[in-house]
Amino acid sequence: MPQHTPHIIREFDQAMRGLADLVISMGAQARLNLARAMEALQQRDLDRCKVVIADDTEVDEAERAVDAAGMDILLRFHPVASDLRLVISSMKIAANLERISDHAVNIAKRARKMLAKPEVREVRLIEPVYLLADGQLQDALASYADRDSEKGRGLKERDQELDRMHKRVMAQLSQLLEEGGELSESYLHLLFVVRSLERVGDLAVNIGEDAVYLDRAEDIRHMKARQQDTDA
Amino acid sequence: MSDTFQQHPETAIEVADMDFHYGESKALKDIRLTVPRGRIVAFIGPSGCGKSTLLRCFNRMNDLVPGARVTRGSIHIDGVEIHSPEVDPVELRRRVGMVFQKSNPFPRSIYENVAYGPRIAGTKSKSELDGIVEEALKGAALWSEVESRLHESAFGLSGGQQQRLCIARAIAVRPEILLMDEPCSALDPVATAKVEELILDLKRNYTIVIVTHNMQQATRISDMTAFFYLGELMEYGATTKIFTRPERRETEDYVTGRFG
Repeated sequence: MPQHTPHIIREFDQAMRGLADLVISMGAQARLNLARAMEALQQRDLDRCKVVIADDTEVDEAERAVDAAGMDILLRFHPVASDLRLVISSMKIAANLERISDHAVNIAKRARKMLAKPEVREVRLIEPVYLLADGQLQDALASYADRDSEKGRGLKERDQELDRMHKRVMAQLSQLLEEGGELSESYLHLLFVVRSLERVGDLAVNIGEDAVYLDRAEDIRHMKARQQDTDA
Repeated sequence: MSDTFQQHPETAIEVADMDFHYGESKALKDIRLTVPRGRIVAFIGPSGCGKSTLLRCFNRMNDLVPGARVTRGSIHIDGVEIHSPEVDPVELRRRVGMVFQKSNPFPRSIYENVAYGPRIAGTKSKSELDGIVEEALKGAALWSEVESRLHESAFGLSGGQQQRLCIARAIAVRPEILLMDEPCSALDPVATAKVEELILDLKRNYTIVIVTHNMQQATRISDMTAFFYLGELMEYGATTKIFTRPERRETEDYVTGRFG
């Protein structure tokens, strides 16, 4: 985290650093789960599927730890200004990371089900979607860790590219599904995998919005809808 | 004299380009600040920053300190410059009441403490005074606790009750503005909560300026917050803004506890 003027109470600085570290390591764990889920899918690796499903509990525990640390800081120190924003954004980001890890589990479960069926070439369609989603997630986490509002702000626009790719791949998989055949079930699983990756992109956008709030105290959520309300 | 002040619809106090000296020492520099009517404004800042000095300027309490004076700029209350010759400081202090850090009831009965101001302002009728005392004690959320012992000594009240009695005494003369200088600093949390609830209730009828070292208190009760440092007004704005996204680094450092 960026350097701050030290707080008069050293314990406060320690608690705040501890909170941010928890979120950053939770983010790394969620990203790792997602990467492993993708490896499990691509390499048809049952053990890796099991690891992802088991490791999700670590992310769940991390969310609880972030909430507990945030509550503790609110209770003991009554933070304000950027300190208050750090506590609020950390707790919100932890909730988004927990959902990202849930999507990794969804992917791992779909990958496990696909093991019962023959391998499908179309798994390769998923890789670019994953790379975009993971790139967004990486930058969302960096925008929080570095308090980089510009990086956080840019995620919304980048997510449109992911949305377009998601639609394209969905269309391809839907067509294959309509054609029927013994691989239909696998195509259906892949549709859900793509859907999960698209949701990861949305959740990364949420994290970016929280990072903007943390850095600039600006609420950029639902800007389009708010603009339309203003114009109406 | 009371006709000197006309109710300004939106602005209760307007401070413009004001400097203030204690002898040779400049205590306040170039203060510009508007207190909106019907709002609670909190003054915060480290000890010696000038916030209490400015508060005491508003009813010219500093006139009583030798060598203390406004050396530049102006303070308008209800559109009238309070240092202008037609302003009687005694009348000004009736319009701009004050509650101090430590409750300071007179060594008299509860009733007499509240009736004192209206009586010296000319109210003689017993029934009228009774009505004012009851209204003021109700306004200060104290009536139900003292109605059966109005003629007992004010010193028999608890610290929190004494402070609310002082608030009743201040509002008995029907001021428009109430100045409060750390009114809860000597009170326990329960008494503090009662006084804070009272302050919020008083907002319906009064403009309130409160000096506080308790920043949680500022966030709980004030609409606007002014941060002072070394005699300067560093930042002034909506309390939610000052405590969530202050503009200045000094404000951020102070409200977050990073002031070394």
